Amino acid sequence: MARVKFLCDVERCIDCNGCVVACKEGNQVPVGINRRRVVTINEGKPGEKSISVACMHCADAPCIAVCPVDAIYQRDDGIVLVNKKTCIGCGYCFMACPFGAPQFPGDRVFGARGAMDKCTFCAGGPEKTFSEEERNLYGQNRIAEGKVPLCAAMCATRALMAGDADKIADIYRQRVFRRGSGANAWGWDRAYQGK
Amino acid sequence: MKYPYLPVVILWLASLLATLALAADPLQLTSFAASPSSESFREFAAITTGDWQRYGQLFTGWQATLFPRLFLLVVLVPSTIFLLHYIAIGAKEFDHTSGRVLFFGLLVRLIHWLVAASFTVLVLTGLMVIFGRLLGGGPLVAEARSVHLVAAPVFVVCVIPMFLAWLKDMLPMPWDLAWFLILGGYLSKKKRPVPAARFNGGQKVWFWLATVGGGVMAWSGYELYGFRMATDQIRLAAMIHNILGAALVAFFIVHLYMSLFAIRGALGSMISGYKCRQEVEILHSRFPVD
Repeated sequence: MARVKFLCDVERCIDCNGCVVACKEGNQVPVGINRRRVVTINEGKPGEKSISVACMHCADAPCIAVCPVDAIYQRDDGIVLVNKKTCIGCGYCFMACPFGAPQFPGDRVFGARGAMDKCTFCAGGPEKTFSEEERNLYGQNRIAEGKVPLCAAMCATRALMAGDADKIADIYRQRVFRRGSGANAWGWDRAYQGK
Repeated sequence: MKYPYLPVVILWLASLLATLALAADPLQLTSFAASPSSESFREFAAITTGDWQRYGQLFTGWQATLFPRLFLLVVLVPSTIFLLHYIAIGAKEFDHTSGRVLFFGLLVRLIHWLVAASFTVLVLTGLMVIFGRLLGGGPLVAEARSVHLVAAPVFVVCVIPMFLAWLKDMLPMPWDLAWFLILGGYLSKKKRPVPAARFNGGQKVWFWLATVGGGVMAWSGYELYGFRMATDQIRLAAMIHNILGAALVAFFIVHLYMSLFAIRGALGSMISGYKCRQEVEILHSRFPVD
């Protein structure tokens, strides 16, 4: 299987935050930490657009490059994961990340940051797959079940897509050809006919 | 009706005028104008990743490559130079039967050792974080980071009285330049009087670096701990903390060598407060010895 990617189709995202809630609930993400967020431009005005952002699982991940304890690693399918037992909470990954994906609880002395938490592409962590420990530390491992991450599975308009990069690029390309963009991208048949 | 098509023409004219009026105000037409998805993606990229272009890229590059090498150099190079110095030139020994001079009062010694203890803890735990991967990360390095955080306010509280006590004697003087030119006489085994008052040029550089530099480390370290500032400011604080930290580690090694090995009895002087007369006459020739 090729690399996996997220792609959020800004023409379809309706800022419902279903992806945010699905991730938070399904992975039992602790209070104060949000693995996914929705960014909106031109809110309330014509041309309002939204996009759902989480960890982008970058090909040349800056977070992996800067970690002083090598707690972050990348799987063969491109998913970037953190080993919470190795992580010391220094925060360098947050500083290196262009998307602000790493999040931290204030667990340690004087409220210092604890181990980093971020979107796992619903692929769990280094612990044994489907173990209690993996679930408590990282949340669900849907990839090992052959399922798509919670956020993409939840998306009602199929704006957020997650999976094989080639397949997703293909779907998006077909959408763009069929619907055009701007004024031409309106109408039910443009948006949903066929796919 | 005389002109039956007149209402149609009037309606058409009115809608044309309305469209033109709307066109005059660009905002009204933006939703109907062609705005490709790529424009939206570009705008989103600017919002989510915009500030990464300023210090994010620089920080990532430096933390991945420069800082690990810098710290390796800063730990190995001064140590090696001093090892060679000790083999080639060795320690300076002075005649302890020549009488003694009170150099450091009790309070000043106490403060120095409090600062020394907290500073040592800060350096060691800081290096444990920098070289975390060699220690396997995990609870050991995480605890080192916590200890680093707790030792920092101890250092700040203790360094302030030390700064105030020695400030006057540490002000740069014209003879400090002469001291630097001969490198304090440490490049030769001979004992010739060296231009220095209570503190020589090298000690002054170390003092300013450790106190003012220590203060900057405390401020940048606080920003790194709190994460309350804007992300770009945190990145800047991280870069300053690393570079200044490397300089402090280097000069700390210099200070350790000078006080523990290069001058016999120097450690004792900081414990008892007394230096032998000959040492003061040679190494601190401008210090008034009665």
